[in-house]
Amino acid sequence: MNSFFLILLILLAGAAISFALGKISSIISGTVAFLSIASASVLFFTQLKNNTYIEFPLGEIQLQWGIDSFGYIFALIVLGLGSLASLYSISYMQNKERTGIFYFNFVLVITSMVGIIFSQDFISFFIFWEIMTWSSYLLIIFNKKDVKEIGVKYMIFSAIGAYSMLTAIVMIKGNYNTFLISDAIQAGAFNFTNNEYIPILLLIGFAVKAATMPLHVWAPKAYSNSPMSFTVIFSGAMSKMGVLGMALVLVRIFTFNANNEAILPNFSPIILQQTLAWLGAITAVIATLYALMQDDAKKLLAYSSIAQLGYITVGLAIGTKLSVMAALFLAIVHGIFKGALFMVAGAVERQAGTTDMTKVSGLIRKMPFTFFTALIAIIALAGIPPLGGFVGKWMLYESLITESNSYFLVILVFFSSTSAFLYCYRFLFGLFLGQEEEATKDVKEAPITMIIPMLILSVLLMVTGAYPGILFDPIAKGMETIGFNNVTWDMSVLGNIWGNSVNMIYVWLTIVIVFIAAFIFLTLKGLKGTRYVSTKDISTSGEIPLEHENLTFQINFFQPFRRAAAPMYKRSMDKIWNEIGSGLESLFNFTRKIYTGNGQTYAIFVIAFLVLMLLLKDTLFLN
Amino acid sequence: MTITENNIKQPIGEYIQNWARKHSLFVLAYGTGCGAIEIPPTMTSRYDAERFGIRGAATPRQADVLLITGYLATKSLKRVIRVYEQMQDPKYVIAFGSCTINGGMYYDSYNTINALDRYIPVDVYINGCMPRPEAVISGFVELQKQIASGNAYNATKYKENLEWYRENQKKIIKNWRMPDYNW
Amino acid sequence: MEDLAIKILGAVLTTIMAFTVGMFYGGFVRKLTARVQNRRGPVVYQNFIDLLKLQSKTTNIAHGFMHHMAPIWMIIASLTTLMFLPILNGNLWFPNISFHGDLIFLLYMMVFGSLGMALGAGQTGNPNSAIGVTRGLSQMVGFEIPFVMSLIALMIQYKTTSIQDIMIAQNESGIWNMFSNPFAFLAALFAMFGMFRYSPFDIVGAPAELASGPVSEFGGKYLGTMMTANSIFSFFKLTLYVNLFMAGAGNINDVGIVATLIAIVILLIKTFALYMVPVFYGWVSPRYRTEQAIRYFWAWPSALGLIGIVWALI
Repeated sequence: MNSFFLILLILLAGAAISFALGKISSIISGTVAFLSIASASVLFFTQLKNNTYIEFPLGEIQLQWGIDSFGYIFALIVLGLGSLASLYSISYMQNKERTGIFYFNFVLVITSMVGIIFSQDFISFFIFWEIMTWSSYLLIIFNKKDVKEIGVKYMIFSAIGAYSMLTAIVMIKGNYNTFLISDAIQAGAFNFTNNEYIPILLLIGFAVKAATMPLHVWAPKAYSNSPMSFTVIFSGAMSKMGVLGMALVLVRIFTFNANNEAILPNFSPIILQQTLAWLGAITAVIATLYALMQDDAKKLLAYSSIAQLGYITVGLAIGTKLSVMAALFLAIVHGIFKGALFMVAGAVERQAGTTDMTKVSGLIRKMPFTFFTALIAIIALAGIPPLGGFVGKWMLYESLITESNSYFLVILVFFSSTSAFLYCYRFLFGLFLGQEEEATKDVKEAPITMIIPMLILSVLLMVTGAYPGILFDPIAKGMETIGFNNVTWDMSVLGNIWGNSVNMIYVWLTIVIVFIAAFIFLTLKGLKGTRYVSTKDISTSGEIPLEHENLTFQINFFQPFRRAAAPMYKRSMDKIWNEIGSGLESLFNFTRKIYTGNGQTYAIFVIAFLVLMLLLKDTLFLN
Repeated sequence: MTITENNIKQPIGEYIQNWARKHSLFVLAYGTGCGAIEIPPTMTSRYDAERFGIRGAATPRQADVLLITGYLATKSLKRVIRVYEQMQDPKYVIAFGSCTINGGMYYDSYNTINALDRYIPVDVYINGCMPRPEAVISGFVELQKQIASGNAYNATKYKENLEWYRENQKKIIKNWRMPDYNW
Repeated sequence: MEDLAIKILGAVLTTIMAFTVGMFYGGFVRKLTARVQNRRGPVVYQNFIDLLKLQSKTTNIAHGFMHHMAPIWMIIASLTTLMFLPILNGNLWFPNISFHGDLIFLLYMMVFGSLGMALGAGQTGNPNSAIGVTRGLSQMVGFEIPFVMSLIALMIQYKTTSIQDIMIAQNESGIWNMFSNPFAFLAALFAMFGMFRYSPFDIVGAPAELASGPVSEFGGKYLGTMMTANSIFSFFKLTLYVNLFMAGAGNINDVGIVATLIAIVILLIKTFALYMVPVFYGWVSPRYRTEQAIRYFWAWPSALGLIGIVWALI
């Protein structure tokens, strides 16, 4: 049997079995889901060779599945993160209800994403895309909270995306008479010069999933309200499907200078490129500003995901070798660290009951491993050397400065990433540092099946920091597949086109040497006289805080910043969409006056129509 | 290797450390009473305590010297004890003004303590009501002499006689609710 | 092997020099401040005494692992940035490993210490520390913007992101960047006020209001190590500025001892002159609230930075 079918079959069977077992025991059901995803991953990475394709007819339409180096990058994210997240969710979902439904949809989402990666034609691509949307919709409303607002928003925006994608597919079929992606690319369907609507419609479809402004409004609540073990996938892998699509389209639009000839002297691609890049940057800025005002750790992470996706969009839109590489690298690394962070948030939620940072604090001594993961992931998220996040950020900045002429874009991106330090600190401080309060006295460390995936992810972040070449290898191959030539990379040296470079090995060596020396010095010096005290033993002008007194500083955390940046908080995309929504509503209200829902009125309409027809029959139906 | 100065023998390491301690005194001025008004002139241009390496500290963690300026109400005694115990060794106490010695003009007050010595160990007393900045500085110089000679170890006495001090403290502070103090 | 030995020796020498110079500069500032206030002030080596005293405290307290680690993060940030900074131009002695890093890397590495420190301050559980940290981080977002703008201006002016190349280019053309792109220099200079946290930007560690803010629970060896890290870091910042805007230590390509010493003296003169700018500005300034400080940086300094970029493009 063909490995393509086998992989999908294993996943589908896993989904079905875990659904059936969900009634019996959530642990068994979760284990089945984990085993099916893990075995599918093993099969994928051992059995499938790059650039293998199969074709089979569906009626008169020729379908094609296959795997190329470009899809391989995203398969790494989906299957790697999917296996870890399903291992994680065994404990996370342990005492919850309706786990059968959860695992069914969970595995189905993974299946559909693998399907999207396999798809080499638009029909199966679209079908899998819709399966992904629907199954994720069921997971978003899994907690039955705010179904109306969150679910409906997600559905509306997904529908917008899906319809525009469908329209584009139909147009491709109409214009080029093909459903195969490679044929469409060959025929130049994505070229801006040939047809402006196809690429734009496709981009809208993908931008919805990649949560690019102004299509991002569904994301914050959808991310923060679904079960955390799914959000790992949702933010870490599913949003990358949008990135996959955008990369495919965008590269064709701008980089038929992939052969590194000049961009066509056509003005509109440049406008589109700049528009998209600016949209990405503005997304990053606004999402960051909102992230640092959140009191709920999950929402903070949700907004931060949107911001990070903004960087990726910028990288893709600039479209040079370095920037696309940076974007794809950031896509993978974002999957890793945001996956880890959502896992952390889930662990805290499970152990402490809530992720509201005004209620939980001082968990560091109770959940040391979770804190370690959070620390590593946050360092990567902030883009501070020497972890993987820095590598991506560095390449993005260098490409913006050296290869694009949009210097003001750099400032915007930089503003966003500097402000990101604020919410990075907030996340760590809010959950893990600060006072150890009464309310969280009995919190224990998360179970080992949750710790292991988190630790694996944090180790991955360190490895990608020291040897980013591990990821450059598949990325470079993938980029060559989609049309770049001679993508060069080095194991741990990052370089730009001006010939400047950063050697990560030297960075690591320096940091590790200084760390060891300073740690030994500071620990051994006066070891006997060093004592550890509780967080109640602080200098409070001599006042003695009582056990129940709350000394945590959490409310209005970044008030000075908020005051300084007040004008930027005035506008919100949500409001604009709401206005559009209420405008549409009044339009529909008007329509409603005609379609009253009363049978008698409709009867009158029918009679009136008939009378009209009879009166006008001579003029209308002359023949 | 030892070094002898003013007929006092010290190991050389100790000598250097004491020299540094002597010339760098971070003062936590605990402005309990009216004496606090004498601290600003001591620190600023006219008398300039910084030329002796004396400098204000913001919290007990950073401070070396606890300066009790004036009378201590029974309520503030608790805070003083707390602050003193939060300071890091080696630490010194300078009691300032007559009130800390024998109660001064508040000797028969119902809510001030009379002798600070009974509650926390004092290294240097500065008498007067008020002591002028010159007197304050001379008190600091006296403390510096003690530090240099290696004798300013009253904090160790506090640890050794903790029970006695606690007994006295508890007599004054009725609702004793101090956290456990681990040395 | 000999190469490696020279490298290690160079790294150690650089560290010692940065430490000594940084500490002495701190002492000079205290002395000068005192003279301006018509006081005698402490001796210029007062900071060394303070450090020795702090390190010879016999008891220390820590509120947990991150508290213990905070000074270590700062030392890591100071030394790593120092190692990736070319101290002297065209000299065998102090290139360290500056060929393996560039400006963007340094920009991010400079944040490492503040964030680590903030984490340590957070773990103490002292609300004052956390308030100080939020102020410090917010202020950082303020001054990083004009700083980055001026760096971008330099990068596109010379088409390089390496400090070494910017220094060499200045020496070749003979015009310092502070003259060839005065707007970028001014923007960076304003950002420097925020970086050094002298008045009017010293609300982060306001001693009376916040009990010295982030460092309020740090004493003894922890405070001492932080002081060391800060001294090294301030030398790094000054040298970075001198390298970027004042052509480093000048055009001395001789590797002899005498030439090296002359170069060091030139570097010291330049850094000291530069250091006096925020200090002077601080003497005559009151204190800004955090949001005022942020707005300050986002107004004229950022505008100057933008003009600097445009200037570099023309």
